[in-house]
Amino acid sequence: MSEAVAQQATEQEPVIDLSLANKIIDKYIDMPGNLMPVLQGAQDEYGYIPRVVADLIAERLNVYPSQIYGVLTFYAQFHLKPRGKFIIRVCVGTACHVQGAPRIVESFFDKLHIGHAETSPDLRYTFEKVACLGACGMAPLAMVNDATYGAMTVQKVSEIVADYNQRPMK
Amino acid sequence: MVNLTIDDKQVTAPKTATIYDAAKLNGIKIPILCHDKKLKPFGACRMCLVEVEQMKGRQIPACTTPVTEGMIIRTSTPDIVKARKMVLELLLLNHPIDCPVCDKAGDCDLQNLTYEYKVDANRFTDEKFHLEIDYTNPLIERDMNRCVLCGKCARICDEIVSFGALTFIDRGIETKIGCEFEEALNCEFCGSCVSVCPVGSLLARPFKFKARFWSLTKQKSVCGYCGTGCNLTLGVKDNKVLTTIYDENQGFHNGQLCVRGRFGYQFINSDKRLTKPLIRKNQNLVEVGWDEALEVVAGRLRDSGAASAALATARLTNEELLLFKQLMESVGSNNYDHSAGYAHAALTEGFAGSFGISASPSTILDIQKSDLLLVIKTDAYETHPVVGFEINMAVKNKGVQLKILSDKTGKLSKLPDAKTLVHTPGSEIAIINSLAKVIIDNKLGDASAVSLPGYADLEKSLADFTPEAVSAQCGLSADDIKLLASDYAKAEKALILFPVGQAYPGHTAALANAVANLALLAGKLGKEGSGVLCLSEKNNSQGAVDMGFHAAGGGLNAGQILDGCATGSIKTLLIAGENPLVSYPDHAKVKAALDKVEFLVVSEMFMTETAAMADVVLPVCSFAEKEGTFTATDRRVQHIKPAIKKIGQSRSDFEIFGSLIAKMGGVSSAAPAVVFAEIAASTPGYESMSYVSLGDEGLFASVDVKPVFVVPQTSAAKAESGKLALVTGSVLYHNGTLSQYGEGPMHVCPEGYVELSRADAAAMKFVENDLLTISSANGSMKLKARITPRMPQGVVFAPYHFGANPVNQVWNGAPVTWVTLAK
Repeated sequence: MSEAVAQQATEQEPVIDLSLANKIIDKYIDMPGNLMPVLQGAQDEYGYIPRVVADLIAERLNVYPSQIYGVLTFYAQFHLKPRGKFIIRVCVGTACHVQGAPRIVESFFDKLHIGHAETSPDLRYTFEKVACLGACGMAPLAMVNDATYGAMTVQKVSEIVADYNQRPMK
Repeated sequence: MVNLTIDDKQVTAPKTATIYDAAKLNGIKIPILCHDKKLKPFGACRMCLVEVEQMKGRQIPACTTPVTEGMIIRTSTPDIVKARKMVLELLLLNHPIDCPVCDKAGDCDLQNLTYEYKVDANRFTDEKFHLEIDYTNPLIERDMNRCVLCGKCARICDEIVSFGALTFIDRGIETKIGCEFEEALNCEFCGSCVSVCPVGSLLARPFKFKARFWSLTKQKSVCGYCGTGCNLTLGVKDNKVLTTIYDENQGFHNGQLCVRGRFGYQFINSDKRLTKPLIRKNQNLVEVGWDEALEVVAGRLRDSGAASAALATARLTNEELLLFKQLMESVGSNNYDHSAGYAHAALTEGFAGSFGISASPSTILDIQKSDLLLVIKTDAYETHPVVGFEINMAVKNKGVQLKILSDKTGKLSKLPDAKTLVHTPGSEIAIINSLAKVIIDNKLGDASAVSLPGYADLEKSLADFTPEAVSAQCGLSADDIKLLASDYAKAEKALILFPVGQAYPGHTAALANAVANLALLAGKLGKEGSGVLCLSEKNNSQGAVDMGFHAAGGGLNAGQILDGCATGSIKTLLIAGENPLVSYPDHAKVKAALDKVEFLVVSEMFMTETAAMADVVLPVCSFAEKEGTFTATDRRVQHIKPAIKKIGQSRSDFEIFGSLIAKMGGVSSAAPAVVFAEIAASTPGYESMSYVSLGDEGLFASVDVKPVFVVPQTSAAKAESGKLALVTGSVLYHNGTLSQYGEGPMHVCPEGYVELSRADAAAMKFVENDLLTISSANGSMKLKARITPRMPQGVVFAPYHFGANPVNQVWNGAPVTWVTLAK
């Protein structure tokens, strides 16, 4: 019965190239404890773990689909929905908070209209509030993907958004 | 053994025990929510905290701490009581106090502990959860607001059922139990999770708002479906069986049940039960009194004499089957059989030839004691789910090797390190012979086997079964066969399991012989955890064989009886509980035979397809209403007592056959106990048994194995090009045709289907649930398509249980039926 459901779910998903996932699975298939590296590899490939990919991993690694879902929801590093090309993280830890992080969060919301853990419909941005990025000396702090922006101001938010709006999606 | 002190009491416990086990063993109760004796220790609930003097008075969980020599443990100091109270306060913080409408009330561990620890106030406040309750399936309700996160449901589903439907989702305060992608529960519905839930999070929906737990009378019984012989506790109120109650101390299976056992009981109090005898008058079945009905039947039997015949279901008790046989003999007929004949030939002809006994030498208890299990057909899980649980536990907990020879993969194939060799349908016997050949040729076996009778003939007959030759016809590689043979031979203890039954016509006497030869050659017989076990289909299949209720001494077998009906040589046919129109091969042929026979008497609980054709229908009662014994597939004889009074005017088959014997001028036996005494006196292996000595656990009928080699009769299945190989079988949710009247199984699996591979479906452009026309030389019918990864290309599977659209319209009893599919 569960297989029947999986088939139906397959049809609702956007088109996903499963050969990418199959390649990752092939790489780790004989390794004990391969679930985490396979999930991490799949997330790197797709940006998130699509349902069909989770089902494929379950079938090929002979792991319960429920167990995969348990792992995916336990670790904050896994995502179940498509993520933006640019991940904006604003630190709301203690040091950043006293230096005005709430205002930075607000102004990102004003510019992008997405709140915590939300992704813009065009898949350009994902916004996240995080508790401490480990660089309190630079408070208030923001990151876009791997780039760090210290001593944030409302003005800098506009500049950052303007900059990333120009960048290509591919 | 380890010596320790618990609450100032000197006690001893096994070295492997935990503090919790040691206390329980010595009658000291430690409260706990997350423990079940079948599951591994988990330590989630923190209710079982105890103080150990050597650990400086720290509070440690009793359920995960092993005992050590000289441990001094206190289980209920004021500090401990305080800590437990706080655990309960914290649990009750989120747990809704909706006990008045919770079906678990009265049987709820949390409720009972709250009462015991007098938690009448809470120092904390928090919001309750507002999670959606899962009402999407008809059997199991999931209310995660009540959950205490003990994890027993997820653990039993993994450790024992091996389905893994449930898991912990998210982290911290958000943690909940659920299915993948928070979908609705869609599983085997065995209800194991319901049975172990300590609160009302998982409930049996059929029992919802039926009765308070404390108003139920608990009646011990034995499951009336398959041959495993699981023990049941029925919850009874107002002469109705309302539920099955979990008892972790019941039976070899520790109360573990499958979907049929747990949710299939509703047929007992079904509205569809027949309550009055019926006689056909002017084409219609009309209600009559018992005297009239029995008089008519007796008159017919007297007239027909030797031209009478009987077919019985192997669901009758041993006592009933013996009386039925005596009735036929008193009429002067020895034409009686059950389950279509071939379904039990593995025992009556196969093992009878090879071992000198019509029974399996091994038992279900051997599974967990083995080193290697060789399962023929993955269907063994579907036909005998609780045996399947034993296999799961053997493989997962004890590291038993699992090798499977099957025409498709299945649930067992997914167990860790299970090796499934998928062969072409119908080639089982050739492969087993080839394994035997490899063992002989490579001298892998038991040297003393050479001296057993028949060795020379066997060796000669195996000449053609080299792995290379067999490989060509079975689709396995020669190396696979050789490797399996050597793995099997090298295992110290190895057990072969195979299901038999009406849907498995390929599992014949020859397969039993081949399997027996293999076990004998490898020296696997006569050891604990080793041997062969034939899994018979119905709850009393083994009993029917032991009672000799099959064609013997010149009598006709089931097939010949129906032929006799068709030709007119059988004039009166008595059918007790069988539904040949659905379960016997070749629907048209059975229908013609039943149409033709002069007089047809059917004793049944329900108006089955077969009963609807009868001249007289006698309403009989279910296993829950009668006394007698059932013999499980591994010879365990168990005693059942009535749990409820008989429904309507129904009578037991025991009473009916007794009355008929009296009418034929014989002496009818007064009570089942008297007949059982007769059985014990006359049946080999049953000596010294009585209702008293059987007790709750039952007793194994003893066997005396006299092994010989018997050359199996093989005939190679011929493939028809351009056609698909249809194999029939049982589906997990059903057993025979009876489960159609249990609401639970019908909710989950209401109709037949044809299962095919993704490759075949893609090639023929079929999608899930397409209504396909399936045609064979025998006829054609329509079935819904089910597309699964487990079927090999070119092979399709259809279950046989369904009266509304029986698969015997296309299936004529061949192990493999060649069919075409079309949309």
